Amino acid sequence: MKNSLLWKMLSFIAVGTVILFWSIDMLNRQTENEMSFIDKQYQQQIIDYGLEAERLYLSGNQQQLAKWLLDLQAKEQTWAAVVQSNLITMGGSILEKQFTDSHRLGRNVQWKIHLYFKVNPVMDITFADNKTRFLIRLPQRMRPGGYYPLAQVLLQIALPFLLLSLLTWVLYRHVMKPLSALQEATHKFGAGDYGVQINAKVGTHKDEFTTLTNSFDLMASRTGKLIVNQRQLLEDLSHELRTPLARLDMAVDCIKQGIHTTDSIERLSNESAIMRELVEDTLMLVWLNNEMPTLNKDSFDLVELLEVICNDARFEYPQHCIILQGPTQLPIGNSSQRALNQALENIIRNALQHTPTAHQVIIAVDRQNDKLQVTVSDNGPGVPEHLLEDIFQPFFQVDKSRAKQNPMIPLAEGTRRGGFGLGLALAQRQITAVGGNIIANNLINELENSVKGLRISILLPA
Amino acid sequence: MQSAHVLIIEDDSTLNSQMANLLQAQGFCTEQCHDGLQGLSTAINKSFDLILLDVLLPGINGFEVLNQLRKTKRTPVVMMTACGAEAERIEGYRKGADDYIPKPFNFTEVLLRINALLRRTGLSEKPSHLSPFLSVDEISLQRENLQVSYAENSVEFTAIEFRLLWTLVENKSQVLNKPFLYQAVLEQVFSRYDRSLDMHLSRVRRKMMALGMPAQRLATVYGKGYVFT
Repeated sequence: MKNSLLWKMLSFIAVGTVILFWSIDMLNRQTENEMSFIDKQYQQQIIDYGLEAERLYLSGNQQQLAKWLLDLQAKEQTWAAVVQSNLITMGGSILEKQFTDSHRLGRNVQWKIHLYFKVNPVMDITFADNKTRFLIRLPQRMRPGGYYPLAQVLLQIALPFLLLSLLTWVLYRHVMKPLSALQEATHKFGAGDYGVQINAKVGTHKDEFTTLTNSFDLMASRTGKLIVNQRQLLEDLSHELRTPLARLDMAVDCIKQGIHTTDSIERLSNESAIMRELVEDTLMLVWLNNEMPTLNKDSFDLVELLEVICNDARFEYPQHCIILQGPTQLPIGNSSQRALNQALENIIRNALQHTPTAHQVIIAVDRQNDKLQVTVSDNGPGVPEHLLEDIFQPFFQVDKSRAKQNPMIPLAEGTRRGGFGLGLALAQRQITAVGGNIIANNLINELENSVKGLRISILLPA
Repeated sequence: MQSAHVLIIEDDSTLNSQMANLLQAQGFCTEQCHDGLQGLSTAINKSFDLILLDVLLPGINGFEVLNQLRKTKRTPVVMMTACGAEAERIEGYRKGADDYIPKPFNFTEVLLRINALLRRTGLSEKPSHLSPFLSVDEISLQRENLQVSYAENSVEFTAIEFRLLWTLVENKSQVLNKPFLYQAVLEQVFSRYDRSLDMHLSRVRRKMMALGMPAQRLATVYGKGYVFT
């Protein structure tokens, strides 16, 4: 879901807070309610006072009643009295029944006390005659709600504080888990661990954090791959330069000692040409890799280009059979003659290098819907299925000794790079730069169920 | 051309001296500078026919030298750079460089560029192929209307095809290498992977075959270039 972190936060904070305050309010009211009743024991005591007053009143001994009342008032430090109320209606009006039945001057002991009134209410114990009553202002010691201020502090400050702290902590944990994973991963990446990935640790729920960690993972893997590749490229390049350099040094020594001087000078220029080619190719590869340019300035005839390439290839590999199939003309626009030439030349040279002499390499070109397709099929040993994509890596080699193992494939002198060198890597990037794509697959001999060659297919925008 | 003055601004003293020696052997007068500031003041204070300018220089870089120089002088400049990126190439042109050679280069290429540039700026002899008519064996070329005829047949060529055939026919039996042909026909630097010349040649060959000329008279010398025999 989009913005799912927003919804999560919203439900956590908005809904959570509303519920929190609602429940605090409920709790508060309930506590106040429960704390407003006079303790049972005190209720009983007031009732007992009432009974004693009634007994004394009924005995008719006013003096004793007066003394008891005085003693009681002194003892409870309050006001108490025994009174008789008499309701008289005026102007012929009639009193409602409730006033004759249950009229009171004070409050029933079972009723709640309003804690917000500072003054204690007067309690009313009605005698059996229903008109004489014992009144007593609730003694301070019997006033309920002694703990109410404390409860209020707890309920309105401490409890929300605790709960909100808890909420914050949960949210913090939720936010910090991916953040600290990100922090840790960034740190590791900075320290050179380019394989670091976060998503596995953070879990699978989808929200804004997963988007962030996903893009980190993508960035880390791309950057890491780039660094590793560049490093590998540099390593391979230096390695590849060693051989021509060594031969160059040898040639210099030969010249110094006057051995095969003419040959050695020729060798010097050959080796320097090889090294120059290698460096140019590498720079080109780095340029294509880093800038990812779009090359679309040329319009030309694809068949003509292929013919020119095939003619050169026939010179270079006179013992191979190079067959070009397709129409006599195939115009291509918004492309690059240099890029396509380099790509096709490298692919065809690679095919020839891996094909035994006297065998054929077939280059077929044709229109395929709104695209142009070029396929180059060789008669070589193919490439293990799982490595088919890797042949487009710079200096990739299926097996470093493959060329040596197969005596049918003599490597021409100067073709230095066994395996694929930079050729196919460059080819792939050049094809991408002209808006095409390239794939490799093995050609299978159905009868013997064996690989009979490698086919590289290129699709180009027409 | 023989007395052309060339200033070489290149911080690598070995390369600088090598180029100076090779240019002197070709009859040029050379002067060498090894950093940007010295190069700039020499270029401003003395008179040169051409300047070879490296991009990466101590002090101020080649582009800066070029900028400063262009405020007072129009001396032709060939930039040399080790950074092969296209962007730098474009910058070089925009800032007023007359030509550009990517490193590594060999002397043949440098010499071709220098001669072409001197020719463009009028310091060198005019190229010979500006004469209106050329006829060798059964082939005749007419510059005015780009007509090529072989025996009795004739056909119109494109400007580039015409120039290519003219150059080859003019130098009959001489193998012309690709860097030279790129310079002479396409007026651009030869790049190993560029096939435009080969494609032009294959078109020329096809047209000549249609006129009745045997294909092998326009021969490819593998690894070297082309020859008309």
